[in-house]
Amino acid sequence: MRSRLTAFIRGSRRKNLLPGYVAVGLWCLFTFVLIGWIIGASFSTTKDIFSGSLFKSGFHPENYVKALFTHKVGVYFVNSILYTLASCLGIVLVSMPAAYVLARFPFKGDRLVQNAFVSALGIPAIMIIMPLFAVITASGLTNSRMLLVVLYVGINVPFTVFFMITFFKNIPRSFEEAAAIDGCGPMKTFWVIIMPLAQPGIITVTIFNFITVWNEYFMALIFANKTSMRPVAVGLYSMIQSMRYTGDWAGMFAAVVIVFLPTFLLYIFMSEKIIAGVTSGAIKG
Amino acid sequence: MKKNPYTLMKVAFLGPAVLAYVGIFLYPTLRTTVMSFFTVGSITDAMGKWTFAGLGNYADLFASTLFMRSVSNLGGIWLFGGLIVFAFAMLFAVILTSGVRFKSFWRAVIYLPNVISAVAMGTMWMQYVYSSRYGLLKGLFSSLGLERLAAIPWTSPDYIFGALLVAYCFGMVGYFMLIFMAGIEKIPADFYEAATIDGASRAAQFWKITVPLLKGVLRTSLVLWTISTVGFFVWSMIFSPLNPEPGTVTPMVYMYQMVFGANMVVTDRNVGAGAAVGVILSLMVLAIFLVSSRIAREDDLEY
Repeated sequence: MRSRLTAFIRGSRRKNLLPGYVAVGLWCLFTFVLIGWIIGASFSTTKDIFSGSLFKSGFHPENYVKALFTHKVGVYFVNSILYTLASCLGIVLVSMPAAYVLARFPFKGDRLVQNAFVSALGIPAIMIIMPLFAVITASGLTNSRMLLVVLYVGINVPFTVFFMITFFKNIPRSFEEAAAIDGCGPMKTFWVIIMPLAQPGIITVTIFNFITVWNEYFMALIFANKTSMRPVAVGLYSMIQSMRYTGDWAGMFAAVVIVFLPTFLLYIFMSEKIIAGVTSGAIKG
Repeated sequence: MKKNPYTLMKVAFLGPAVLAYVGIFLYPTLRTTVMSFFTVGSITDAMGKWTFAGLGNYADLFASTLFMRSVSNLGGIWLFGGLIVFAFAMLFAVILTSGVRFKSFWRAVIYLPNVISAVAMGTMWMQYVYSSRYGLLKGLFSSLGLERLAAIPWTSPDYIFGALLVAYCFGMVGYFMLIFMAGIEKIPADFYEAATIDGASRAAQFWKITVPLLKGVLRTSLVLWTISTVGFFVWSMIFSPLNPEPGTVTPMVYMYQMVFGANMVVTDRNVGAGAAVGVILSLMVLAIFLVSSRIAREDDLEY
């Protein structure tokens, strides 16, 4: 009886799902048209784009060559890769030990430290940018690749620590106890035993950091003025600004594709992990 | 005796992270707050060159037409954008948790804009969707025979704020949808089954079960929404790449133009006023945080 009842309820529910499919389907269709058209335009010519029919004069992969070399997107791309990889590594090295101590070793004021990291997530960039700029200019550190990496590490440490604390808390203490019995010191225990156990968490948080740093715009706009230092986000922006002189729309769409491709591919392969990371209480997208 | 290695470890392990926090968040925040009460001619001026201005910077800001415009733009983005984003995010979250097929596919596509660089997304909207020559909207409306709508110049001063708002909201829906979905999935399914047996309509179930039990989630979302809109910057820059159009100026853009900008839109260069903008925005975030925790207390029932 009960099962028949639930089957009836399920059935009646399924009946009016159609409007739901239509709403979600239209939204996704729009997303596909948007991205699909951009990819199409990136293989077309400016003339064809303006005439309203892509590929009228055939397939044009040379837009990518133009974007990479003439418009220097290649330089920005290499910069972005350097910034992103170095920052992600730095963030892990700084945040993991801190999160581990906060998760495992209570001390006087540990709540304060933890709350301080959480509060950093709500501080608008505008509150920190002016003093950072003043101090950095005064010490003559502007326009160096290292500077941006250091900033990216510092900015993303609070989120990463916050994210990892729960992760370390869930690792059973028996691992440390066994290591202590074998005479392994606490620091060595962390690097050799705990870090490998925390790998799934480290991977998830690093994907988030990768996306954040790759897409970062504001800090780079202020601290990477020179063309040779620019990451992709600022590079693409400066390219858009100069469009009225170059008029190369096809090349610009190729640049757009180059800019979003890395995070897009990462997402295609890792979407389940990324979505699980967002929903498990991560508060950054 | 055993205590020593642990103390050393705590210091060595926490040290770099705390140092980064102090150097990049704490010290700059305090200095910006202090700076907002001073007149500062150039951003690189040493503290000795600052002249005390009391609340003068704040008074100047509130007297500035462009700053007030930027605050009203931000208010519009926060309120209307918030309504749009939360409505769509909730709608999709309810649809995707009601047993549709290919749920993870839909979910992944709707979240997708969040992983793409805002500069790239903004360019797609600006140069494709809203283009007056070959744009998506133009093509769509002309094919439907709606020539009036097709002819609308979406990025002209009259329409740019709405255009900007829609493009920004499109990207934000997926993120809040994921948060709402996680909240809804935690609500026991029996509640809905019992309500269905009792004859409660879908709408009644949504307002009487889903919304009250998502109070905590909604509160967090409201704070997150406030934090992200307060930092509204990149989208404005993309929608008016050359000279800032007043319809796209937000307080952060105003600060940027005043402190770092090369445009002559904001003529009086006073870094102290830029700092005051930062303090005002921080107070807005704090106010929303306090109000929202008053409305939905931590001990409210939720799953």
